[in-house]
Amino acid sequence: MTITEKLAILADAAKYDVSCSSSSSKRVARKGNLGSAAPAGICHSFTPDGRCISLLKILMNNYCIYDCAYCVNRASNDIPRAAFTVEEVVDLTMNFYRRNYIEGLFLSSAVIKNPTYTMERMVLVLQNLRETQHFNGYIHVKAIPGASLELIDKAGSYADRMSVNIELPSQRSLQLLAPDKSKNDILLPMQNISQQIVQNRAERKTLKKSPHYVPAGQSTQMIIGASGESDLDILRLSAALYDKFSMKRVYYSAYVPINQDKNLPVVAPPMARENRLYQSDWLIRVYGFQAHELLDEKTPNLDMDYDPKTVWALNHMEQFPVEINQAPFKILIRIPGIGIRGAQKIVSARKISPLDFNDLKKMGLSVKRAQYFITCKGRYYGTVSCEPLKIRRALKPQKTASPHTGYEQLTIFDQLAALNGEI
Amino acid sequence: MIIYLYDGSFDGLLTAIFDSFTDKRPLDIFRQEHYQPQLFDEIISVTTENDKAQRVADSILAKLSFDTYQRLYYLYLSELPQCDYTALCYLKMCYRYGASIYLAKNNPLIHRVETYCRKVTLEAHRFTGFVRFIELAPMIFYSKIEPDHNILPLLQGHFVRRFSDQKFMIHDLKRQYALVYDLHTPYFTPLTIEEGEHLLTSKTTDPYQQLFAVFFDATTITQRRNLRLQKFWMPKRYWQHIDEAHD
Ligand code: SF4
Repeated sequence: MTITEKLAILADAAKYDVSCSSSSSKRVARKGNLGSAAPAGICHSFTPDGRCISLLKILMNNYCIYDCAYCVNRASNDIPRAAFTVEEVVDLTMNFYRRNYIEGLFLSSAVIKNPTYTMERMVLVLQNLRETQHFNGYIHVKAIPGASLELIDKAGSYADRMSVNIELPSQRSLQLLAPDKSKNDILLPMQNISQQIVQNRAERKTLKKSPHYVPAGQSTQMIIGASGESDLDILRLSAALYDKFSMKRVYYSAYVPINQDKNLPVVAPPMARENRLYQSDWLIRVYGFQAHELLDEKTPNLDMDYDPKTVWALNHMEQFPVEINQAPFKILIRIPGIGIRGAQKIVSARKISPLDFNDLKKMGLSVKRAQYFITCKGRYYGTVSCEPLKIRRALKPQKTASPHTGYEQLTIFDQLAALNGEI
Repeated sequence: MIIYLYDGSFDGLLTAIFDSFTDKRPLDIFRQEHYQPQLFDEIISVTTENDKAQRVADSILAKLSFDTYQRLYYLYLSELPQCDYTALCYLKMCYRYGASIYLAKNNPLIHRVETYCRKVTLEAHRFTGFVRFIELAPMIFYSKIEPDHNILPLLQGHFVRRFSDQKFMIHDLKRQYALVYDLHTPYFTPLTIEEGEHLLTSKTTDPYQQLFAVFFDATTITQRRNLRLQKFWMPKRYWQHIDEAHD
């Protein structure tokens, strides 16, 4: 099989993993070695699905002994199979990197023979890149559940980021859809990585020279809409993951129906749901919201028509309108449509002189949503009066179905908010 | 209108600012190559003087801030309409109210400065990703770009640090000059489009170019086509030199 054929199969097999971030590592360049890691992350290309290519995202092989219901590579599927050699992965990574196609490698694998053997092969690639090639670019490696912790540790000493996929939002779904993976096999390495990271950070505080361990932190991913959990269940689980395992990011991947299976839904969940989950995730991670402020047992699912911040504000009109010239930063960022950057601009401009409504527009802020939740120098400028029902009607989205899939898509602003957190 | 014409260098702009600073008449600043003569214009030709440029720079750094100086540089690199005159007005404003006037994001002039600077830094960041090297000979790489703004000077540090063990050249076709790194001190040199094409004649194809195109297609989730988003992140005007790109 040619390298081209292998690449086509093993990139296709890896593409449903959503994370492609190359950010938050601090690997500095060394003269004479290839590579560096940019803290902000760099995108090298964008595919027609609107996703960024930052890393060479591939599987080492897709000969899986497991049979997870939702996965293309499951043992019972009749699909083309391929396996890279260690040298092939190293060669592709180095040569793509030298041409500035990528920030580095995102290496994952199907489970071949057994988890430990699989992980061994992956560690060989990392070792070769770091020790033989002196490759100093970004490496994200998956920890294979069930592999020996020693090996996972070793991988961590070479990688910038590690991830173990939580796969599904509950143990019940995991049993149903990924019967070969146990909850413990997933949580154990996760916990181990998180402990090592914490320990390494402490060591590096006293001993600056001690080597990095997963400097860009740990992430995980769960599939949305292949099983019946509510958005509340999902956000609660993420909150716990951020909390217990000091996760850098939790990724949500809307299920794409590839397999026929009695336990799987036939239709894909709307992409809108994935977007709304990301928006909520930002609100919880960055804006100081609690999961229970966004959802509760009475409304356990996110609204597809309105972003989660707007929904929250409409349910808490007693806190609005907010005076733009007085509200502290942490209140400003709770105003629908005013993101972190917008709030920073307001705080900085009002130091010079009080702002009126027009000033917001002059700063390039969008007032489409914010107008109903603010006053400027005591005056309210909304096009309808400040009542939840009227505002709700004024903000009702114009429905547009995507010409490609027929599914409803959110506006591009909503899609961007899900990605950059300006919500 | 009085027109101060300078040679197009950053020192030239600083000299023009020096010369025009106390001129109270209605005026404008242009680079020679961008200027279109108007009937009633009165031209003042600026002779670039390093000493004057240095005095402007020193004064900004001493009395205002490094950020202010950097913004002038970004305005200069932006090559956007009125960028030189904007630089002069911004500087005058800073001397009058202090560097902290930059906080006034609602002021139209500050808003313009911020917008222009953001365009430049955003494009520079994008091109740390969009530059595509082709291997001309073992470990010698060449890339051509056509950015909106003159961002090559801003790319230098990143590319030299990252690719410190390979020789490379990044060629700005629009401005016909290149950044060259030959494992020693990097430098800029004029380079025409024809000279660039001549470099490429030694090379037919780079096999990794095809491999990356294969990867690009394989990693796309076709059920989720979202061309609007793709073009938002990677505007179509850049695709010409991004070989794998298609929709
Ligand atoms: S372990 Fe499960 S999810 Fe991973 S490749 Fe195999 S079948 Fe797919």
